[in-house]
Amino acid sequence: MSLRELQTFVGDRLDEIVLRTSEHVMLAGLSTLAAVVMGVAIGIIAFRNERWRSSILAAVGILQTIPGLAMLVFLMTVLNRIGFLPAFFALTLYALLPIVRNTLTGLANVSKTTILAAEGLGLNAQQQLFYVRLPIAAPFIMAGIRTATVIGIGLATLAAFIGGGGLGEFINRGLALSNTRLILLGAIPAAVLAILADLTLSAAEWGLKPVSRSSSGNISGSNSGNNSERPVSSQILSQIVLKRCALALPIVLLSLSLGLYTFSHGPLADVPVRIGTKQFSEQIILGELMAQVIEHKTHLKVERRFDLGGTMICHGALINNEIDMYPEYTGTSLLAVLHEPFIADPVRALYIVSKDYDERFGIRWLAPFGFNNTWALIVKADSPKFREITSISGLEPVARQLEAGLTAEFAERDDGFLGLSKTYNLHFGRVRDLDPNLVYLAVSLKQVDLAAGNSTDGRIPTYGLRALKDDKHFFPPYQGAPIVREDFLAAHPDAGAALSSLANQIDDRTMQTLNFEVDGLKRSPASVAKAFLQSRKLID
Amino acid sequence: MIKVENVSKSHDGGQSFAIKDISFVVPNGQTLALVGSSGSGKSTILKTINRLVEPTSGLVEVGGENVANIDPVLLRRRIGYVFQEIGLFPHMTVEENICIVPKLLGWNAEKRKTRGEELMSLVGLPPETFRYRLPSELSGGQQQRVGVARALAVDPEYLLMDEPFGAVDALTRETLQEEVKRIQKHINKTIVFVTHDIFEALAIGDHIGVMHEGRLEQIGPPSELLQKPKTDFVHNLFARPARQLAQYGSALQE
Repeated sequence: MSLRELQTFVGDRLDEIVLRTSEHVMLAGLSTLAAVVMGVAIGIIAFRNERWRSSILAAVGILQTIPGLAMLVFLMTVLNRIGFLPAFFALTLYALLPIVRNTLTGLANVSKTTILAAEGLGLNAQQQLFYVRLPIAAPFIMAGIRTATVIGIGLATLAAFIGGGGLGEFINRGLALSNTRLILLGAIPAAVLAILADLTLSAAEWGLKPVSRSSSGNISGSNSGNNSERPVSSQILSQIVLKRCALALPIVLLSLSLGLYTFSHGPLADVPVRIGTKQFSEQIILGELMAQVIEHKTHLKVERRFDLGGTMICHGALINNEIDMYPEYTGTSLLAVLHEPFIADPVRALYIVSKDYDERFGIRWLAPFGFNNTWALIVKADSPKFREITSISGLEPVARQLEAGLTAEFAERDDGFLGLSKTYNLHFGRVRDLDPNLVYLAVSLKQVDLAAGNSTDGRIPTYGLRALKDDKHFFPPYQGAPIVREDFLAAHPDAGAALSSLANQIDDRTMQTLNFEVDGLKRSPASVAKAFLQSRKLID
Repeated sequence: MIKVENVSKSHDGGQSFAIKDISFVVPNGQTLALVGSSGSGKSTILKTINRLVEPTSGLVEVGGENVANIDPVLLRRRIGYVFQEIGLFPHMTVEENICIVPKLLGWNAEKRKTRGEELMSLVGLPPETFRYRLPSELSGGQQQRVGVARALAVDPEYLLMDEPFGAVDALTRETLQEEVKRIQKHINKTIVFVTHDIFEALAIGDHIGVMHEGRLEQIGPPSELLQKPKTDFVHNLFARPARQLAQYGSALQE
């Protein structure tokens, strides 16, 4: 990539980089701030109750061992919402351990003689804590805060999975679109932020240390005369001021990014249409199509809450009125959301999900886009292992020698691997869990022999892969359609009308092409969607 | 007046005693030097006076009041306490260390500053040089001077000193001993001074109490202990300064 390309690539996204960075700082900063308040308090409590100390430490330690994504999804379920709040809570919980531990260590490490002196002077327990122990422990606590902040900035990239914003948005999108540049666009600023935060906090840590007030650093006691001639006070004053500034630096920077955050977010009332998507290219393209027809055919503004971390996250967000719509597939809703039995007939499947969603959730299925994106087993087209195998049935005798890559979602679903292995009597030699965005690459690089993918994925032709035929018709129909909250449709009938213009515009081939343009040609989903809509005369 | 009556302290419910049946009286304005080897219980008896140690039995009175009936925090504000390890607050300057209790008592900044300067001058640390020093920037002797000044900050009637000069070199110690005498002339406190060094006890105490294995062997003016020792231990203890006086005296004559 030439310098010029790099300039345009970054320049086009400058506004969003600023927005995402400020979101990131907000997430990491506010959660660390909350963790400091809680952590120091817990540290003090643990210090005072020796009996509970180890239990408290263990509890905080266990929090740290919960995988990031699991914590996010758990909190999302508990709080019943997506976005900033669950991400904030998750990050706060993660930040606790280093702060609690360092507070405790710092408080306990104050020397016995210092405490004896404090007792002898008649300081009560409270005064000993606030005038002696805490100030002496402060540099320790600060070091804990530093650790927590750096960890927090790293973990905050996960917030994007549940629509919490931050630089993880770029990373997720980059993963979804197999676009390394986008991943770096999120990862590099995050790394830079972590380094800057560490520097800022190390400055604050320095600011906490007592000012060295003997200007010459002369510690030999008796010859004090040479010191007293110097203008000691002005030097000390400047040092004190400098230390105070260093101490205030993190708070100043946090407030600045809070300002930036409010500024770049604008008034929230201007954003009535919130469109969600799951975190893969096709969903993002569909999300863009939906967003652009609404933007062109109505006067509504659209907020793109793309890249949410999976079906249940999107579904939960829609039900909880965190988003107004997202593109969904009939088979997914039928099996993963409604837990209905498998239905082979696409028309009947659509009928059932429409009816159930309407009755149970107040969500309407609009007319489908026109394609069927079902599961497919993907192999490398030129692999000698599969030379004679064209259908899934053909795998049965050789399955034990094969290594399969499955996404977590596919592995656990009745319409996925569980049912597939029963129907075709397949027992693979080894099964690996892979990120949905990595399966195609993994097969292409021969890291696995075959993988479960999506039939409309543009990477199938790009990476030299082919899909095995589902000769027993196991995979259910997965027709894509916009699903929308009914209260939203009632309030914005023009948006509903705009969306219905997409009905039956995209068949399997078209979807594969659109996916290929994004995954293979690395064009942005927005521009692919725009070109397509213009070619169909759906927008000007 | 400090009065200690039949005070005992046992850490194991009466099997053995750190101190046993200690009784003495320190009249106002007097200095009692308690001398004894380490483990003799001299620090323990000192700490029963400001309730850092609670006696198993016996009575401790300060100013005619039973200390068991005084809130420890209030009691300790009336009794300055200085000990060997000093325990200056490492994050505070000399001035802040000295003025911590006045600050907690809500004195205003100006009053605190005046008091700090007064005390620094009293203990021989020129305020203009030392006010802003941190403890880590002081020598051992200077630190102990700050320790003494801090103990005197709110002008307590009593002063407990637990081997305050045990960790400083011999020359400095002598200077400090003289300073304590000098300061005592100015401030006229009631002092209990614990030391393992008979010379120090002699230098400082109006009365000397000899502690041995948890018991107070004898208490009285130095001359009385030298001339009429009640036990061999006291006799041996006082024989040393007398012998050394003879030794060094002859050395200096030759």
